[in-house]
Amino acid sequence: MHDGSGRIVVSNLTKSFGQVAAVQNLSFHVEPGSVTGFLGPNGAGKTTTLRMLLGLVRPTAGYSTINGQPFEKLGNPGRVVGAVLEAQGFHPSRSALNHLRVYAAAMGLPDQRAHEVVQLVGLGGAANRAAGGFSLGMKQRLALATALLGDPQVLVLDEPANGLDPEGIAWLRTFLRAFASSGRTVLISSHLLAEVEQTIDQVVIISRGQTMFYGMLDDLRKQQQSRVIVQPADPSALVAALQAEGITGIQPTPDGKVAVVDATIQQIGDIAAKAGLAIYGVQEEKADLEQLFFRLTSGQYAAPGAQMYGQPQGGYAMPYQQHQQQSGGFQYQQPIAQQPYQQQPHQPPVAQQPYQQTSPYQAPSPYQQPAPPSPYQPDPTANPTHNDTTGQGGNA
Amino acid sequence: MGNMITAEFRKILTTRLWWALLIPAFIMALGVAWIWSAITTGISNDLVDEELIQQFDVPVDEISWSVIALVRGMNLASIFPMVFGALGLASELHRKTITTSFLTASSRPGLLAAKSITYALWGLIYGLIIAAGVSLGTLIGSDRNYLPDAKQWFLILLAGLFMCVLWTIFALGVGALIGSPVGTLVILLIYTLIVGPLGEIALFTTTGGSHAPGFMPNGSANGMTGSTASVLLFDQIQALILDRGGQVVDDDVREGFQQFISVVAGAHGAFSLWLSGLIFLAWTGIFYVTGMLRNQARDIT
Repeated sequence: MHDGSGRIVVSNLTKSFGQVAAVQNLSFHVEPGSVTGFLGPNGAGKTTTLRMLLGLVRPTAGYSTINGQPFEKLGNPGRVVGAVLEAQGFHPSRSALNHLRVYAAAMGLPDQRAHEVVQLVGLGGAANRAAGGFSLGMKQRLALATALLGDPQVLVLDEPANGLDPEGIAWLRTFLRAFASSGRTVLISSHLLAEVEQTIDQVVIISRGQTMFYGMLDDLRKQQQSRVIVQPADPSALVAALQAEGITGIQPTPDGKVAVVDATIQQIGDIAAKAGLAIYGVQEEKADLEQLFFRLTSGQYAAPGAQMYGQPQGGYAMPYQQHQQQSGGFQYQQPIAQQPYQQQPHQPPVAQQPYQQTSPYQAPSPYQQPAPPSPYQPDPTANPTHNDTTGQGGNA
Repeated sequence: MGNMITAEFRKILTTRLWWALLIPAFIMALGVAWIWSAITTGISNDLVDEELIQQFDVPVDEISWSVIALVRGMNLASIFPMVFGALGLASELHRKTITTSFLTASSRPGLLAAKSITYALWGLIYGLIIAAGVSLGTLIGSDRNYLPDAKQWFLILLAGLFMCVLWTIFALGVGALIGSPVGTLVILLIYTLIVGPLGEIALFTTTGGSHAPGFMPNGSANGMTGSTASVLLFDQIQALILDRGGQVVDDDVREGFQQFISVVAGAHGAFSLWLSGLIFLAWTGIFYVTGMLRNQARDIT
């Protein structure tokens, strides 16, 4: 039986579909009490990884465990892990509540639990409507309700924000933070870092089925590096002056300016003054997290470049150690089409505002604080055989 | 296992398919039995008046010809539990509800076993409704003297019930193997309604009336009821002849007569009830086991 730890371990997971390597030697673990973002562009292997974790897809090599056990040995898995997956189906003519009653029965839960979760996700008003008429956002809520039926310790969500309106996304954020803060585990995938940035503590970034970054989101933030763009009267003189002071991270920009990565505005100003050089403008540029994410994952569909993947240029990211050992073939390529820097002269560093709820949606969390790892206690007064609200029977 | 069977029953009862197929199954069973009993009654009534038949001293009007109506009705209406079974797993695969089913099941084999038990029970429910339909249709369409006695009636219905259960599981396996509801239905319906019956006639005639068609899935399924009826009719006629001081016919005549009735009942070259049952059980086993193995290993993407 499982150890009740709420820990997810993915170890050297590999999956090939014929000639296509969907996931290659992926390793990471997720600790309880945290929300881990699982990020990568579309086609990076996120869904395949999550489905392997959930026993739906058989890995070619490697293994994954939840609570110390592979999914198929969890006993009553719905009580341990709940999942919201892409392309998770509903019978179009079955009502939301009946859908939940089906799976409540499969997990041995009373019908009362189906009523609870349908309220919890805010679908109470549509409980008796057929799921076929639901919007994408409502289907996502119903999928979440299904995942929560068994009051699981671990929640796995694959692109849950797809189809949700801004209010729904804000609600989901609050919900997931509350869920994790009660000592449970959340693993959430997305192809947009910005979408989950405010929700997650830890991040696993993959591209082409391989780990590109694995660590705390704060560590990723710390790796953002700013550069100073200087507009001098005489660029070559400024470059010479800077180099004389031991500053080497200098690049000319296409519009005749000079970009400096290893000096502050103050240092550059002092050096220019000392050399008697005129400067017409100075501004600091900061690469934001999304740009960083783009850099880490941009190689996916690009043709292999000449530069071997190693430490990405400028030290923007710390690649996952294990990957480095075996990923000889990966070709890291600078994004061509997109300038990774963004004009942000008056903006404080992003790292100084961690986990801030910027959403205007301030409704109290509808999530009822659950008793952490204890399994759901069936209501002794609720009897599934006497709670048939459909009038169609259901325990025949 | 009990929980998963409850869940499977809820899946069925919270959608319309079960009654959308059960109602036409009953109507078809009733209608086909009614028409066939009316036909056999009409032919028998005509034969009684024929001088030729009267010379043979066979009491045509005392023979339970209506068993043919029971057989024809059950065989044809059994396509409904077959369709029901075909959609059991195939529609879950198609609609992707199988994802949630696997995520909430103790194990894949457990879920597939629960589904099989549930669908076997539903096959029985369909069989009972179809049995009621053919019985009612035969009662309406047949003259009283052509009705079988209670034991004959019961035996044919029992063979029919068994056939309905097996058809359901057979189709569940085919659906699990193919994975697409439309593909499964097209293949099964074309086979059971066109390829199977015509193929069996062709096989029967080209092999000089051999038992070859009885080895086929459709032939063995229909043979369960068809051969039950032919044995019952033969025994009845034999008894009537003996009662009138006639002689016991030899095995060749017995064989020929039973084959003739099997053909009339739509089961060319059928083996006896038990052999037909075993052959169809084997076919069901092949498709069921391969279908379940396929799903055991299937990647749900």
